[in-house]
Amino acid sequence: MAGKIINIFDPPSSASSESDVGETQADFSEVFPDCEGDEEKSGDFYNTPASPITVPYCPRPPSTGSQKSPRSRRQRTTSLNQSSKKSAAESMIRTQHRTIYTAGRPPWYNSEGQKVEPLIIGICGGSASGKTTVAEKIIEALGVPWVTLLSMDSFYKVLNEKQREIANRNEYNFDHPDAFDFDLLFSTLQRLKEGRKVEVPIYNFVTHARESRTKTMYGANVIIFEGIFSFHNPKVLEMLDMKIFVDTDADVRLVRRLRRDISQRGRDLDGVLKQYCGMVQPSFNHYIAPLKVHADIIVPRGGENEVAIQLIVQHVHTQLQLRGFKLREELAQIHARSGQPRPDTLKLLPTTPQIRGLHTFIRNKDTPRDEFIFYSKRLIRLVIEYTLSLMQFNEKIVETPQGVQYKGKRMATDKICGVSILRAGETMEQAVCDVCKDIRIGKILIQTNLQTGEPELYYLRLPKDIKDYKVILMDATVATGAAAMMAIRVLLDHDVPESNILIVSLLMAESGVNSIAYAFPKVQIVTTAIDPEINDKFYVLPGMGNFGDRYFGTEPSDDLLQ
Amino acid sequence: MGNAELDIIDGADYVNHYKNLKILHCNNQIKELQTILRDRETSRSDFKFSADRLIRLVIEESLNQLPFTDCKVKTPTNSIYDGLKYKSGNCGVSIVRSGEAMEQGLRDCCRSIRIGKILVESDADTHEAKVVYARFPEDIAQRHVLLMYPIMSTGNTVSKAVTVLKEHKVKEENIILSNLFCTPAAVQTVLESFPKLKMLTSEVHPVAPNHFGQKYFGTD
Repeated sequence: MAGKIINIFDPPSSASSESDVGETQADFSEVFPDCEGDEEKSGDFYNTPASPITVPYCPRPPSTGSQKSPRSRRQRTTSLNQSSKKSAAESMIRTQHRTIYTAGRPPWYNSEGQKVEPLIIGICGGSASGKTTVAEKIIEALGVPWVTLLSMDSFYKVLNEKQREIANRNEYNFDHPDAFDFDLLFSTLQRLKEGRKVEVPIYNFVTHARESRTKTMYGANVIIFEGIFSFHNPKVLEMLDMKIFVDTDADVRLVRRLRRDISQRGRDLDGVLKQYCGMVQPSFNHYIAPLKVHADIIVPRGGENEVAIQLIVQHVHTQLQLRGFKLREELAQIHARSGQPRPDTLKLLPTTPQIRGLHTFIRNKDTPRDEFIFYSKRLIRLVIEYTLSLMQFNEKIVETPQGVQYKGKRMATDKICGVSILRAGETMEQAVCDVCKDIRIGKILIQTNLQTGEPELYYLRLPKDIKDYKVILMDATVATGAAAMMAIRVLLDHDVPESNILIVSLLMAESGVNSIAYAFPKVQIVTTAIDPEINDKFYVLPGMGNFGDRYFGTEPSDDLLQ
Repeated sequence: MGNAELDIIDGADYVNHYKNLKILHCNNQIKELQTILRDRETSRSDFKFSADRLIRLVIEESLNQLPFTDCKVKTPTNSIYDGLKYKSGNCGVSIVRSGEAMEQGLRDCCRSIRIGKILVESDADTHEAKVVYARFPEDIAQRHVLLMYPIMSTGNTVSKAVTVLKEHKVKEENIILSNLFCTPAAVQTVLESFPKLKMLTSEVHPVAPNHFGQKYFGTD
């Protein structure tokens, strides 16, 4: 089964450039695991998956042999490599028939910024019953982005010295509930359900310990959780929205195990049979088979059962639709009513003649592009300087070369980082770098889905330990606030405290300000101007057009606009 | 040195006294930049970095003093924005040497602005300021002049420079003085002699950081 997983996660041959970068990085950090540099490649940045279809590296328990791809015959110590390759390919799932790009996560929260819970599907069944195959087929048929696949194999307990000896003699029962760390499993699943980032342990079957590396996973719209005891723990069971039991004939399971262990893992017939009869089968009969009563659906014959999988997929689609909503429209409507007092968290730059003069250039549609860029940069610099003045400062008395003391101030923290919302937000990166030496910059790509009009999250890469930083979140313009809210939600899911976030932009619409302030009352909102309206294309009025297009020179020609 | 001295910082009194004196709105961020520039322990690289940032802010603020007219422009969404347009006919004049540190800041804001220079040296014995060199755009008399000099302790140098500008028929009310650090005495000297001149600074403080030029250009 492990072999199968690897098949699916072969590094994509026609990967997007994003995932190429990810791969380089993963390999690099693999070679220099402790390297601390400023370059992205040195592992300072998460290789954050555009989406977490994350099939964790999960060798089957009894196989003390090697966890290897069908092509290489190396020992399991190479597993790091494989898992890092897997993480590189996280933004897509490749099957024999097609590639599912898992980029583009639609909103996972409502217009109040509160998260909508993901759908959690539990898959249970005996060893080699085809749970993973069923899970993969569901993912493939679902075709929705942002699915997380969590395997129970990641949660084996760490063995002590004595247990390890037993395990080496093939006598440790990995098919017993006690072999799993249900507390960690529960908390991990709980966090995933809350949409937070989790570090899933990587279990090493050679040392029977957890590797120091962990696998980073993100909350998703659908979480699939599979394992032989996935229905065992009542707390975990309660979290599952849909419970599937894969019921494959015992003979078939034995045949699969024999074939896999003998031909792929080089184990001998007697050893496999001894383990099967002594532990795997009794354990199945005693613990796993009774779990069937919890199931909503029992799938006979595992992954071959196309009809069952179709039924499941239909149900999941219905469930997802029930949870869906029109976020952007809702945002535009809720706060459209004017006359509300402006929120306290709004920090508007004083409107000096200078600021108005800059706006005049930037807003004028006839401004040539080089002037547009020049004046934009000036305005950006002013807004960034202003943003820094909103940080915490401490009083400090310094000695001057003139021999007198000077009562001044210094910033309370040097942990500030910038996060730009692609693409327009990137225009502000330079200014942040100009005012903060060596600042770390993260990126979040959010695009509007042209069919639904909803923002979708495609890509993110954030500085390590971003939770300890003050985050300057940059976007050039904020209309409905939908993209900004998604970006804030992402930061919150990375455990950044709400009060540490400042959303900075050149121009905001009144309704966007209100939406953000309402959903995230502690986020500071910094801008140079506020416009009253949004048109039906969600552009600010009078506005400045599509800032990114004008700055980067990618605006469509006039007749296309009409 | 007493605490009283430490507390004379925001110079609000002077603003009330001289209506043409403007002090950059002092937020924490600006205070930090000033602290870094004043701190003896600051490295040269940090010093220059912070100086450039403060200069940029002072220049941006100085540009606010320039004349403008209202104008309406059409935005890409075909709406009207009520903006304003600066009048042309401005120029910069830097006082050599430390004033030149501010030239880049001005260039960053006004790409093709003309910049003149004055070199004023004070006599080692008499402390009298003497103009050694001056070169201005030809039509400076018709222009608004942004006079740049970062540190003022006596105000003599600037007074001399303003005198030279006036000799070139620049109107006193058309001169805007951009400055980073200034002593009360300098405010008095300059604004008493030239009451119509507009002066902008980031701080009025009894002790001027006279090491500025040397540290900025690395000649200490």
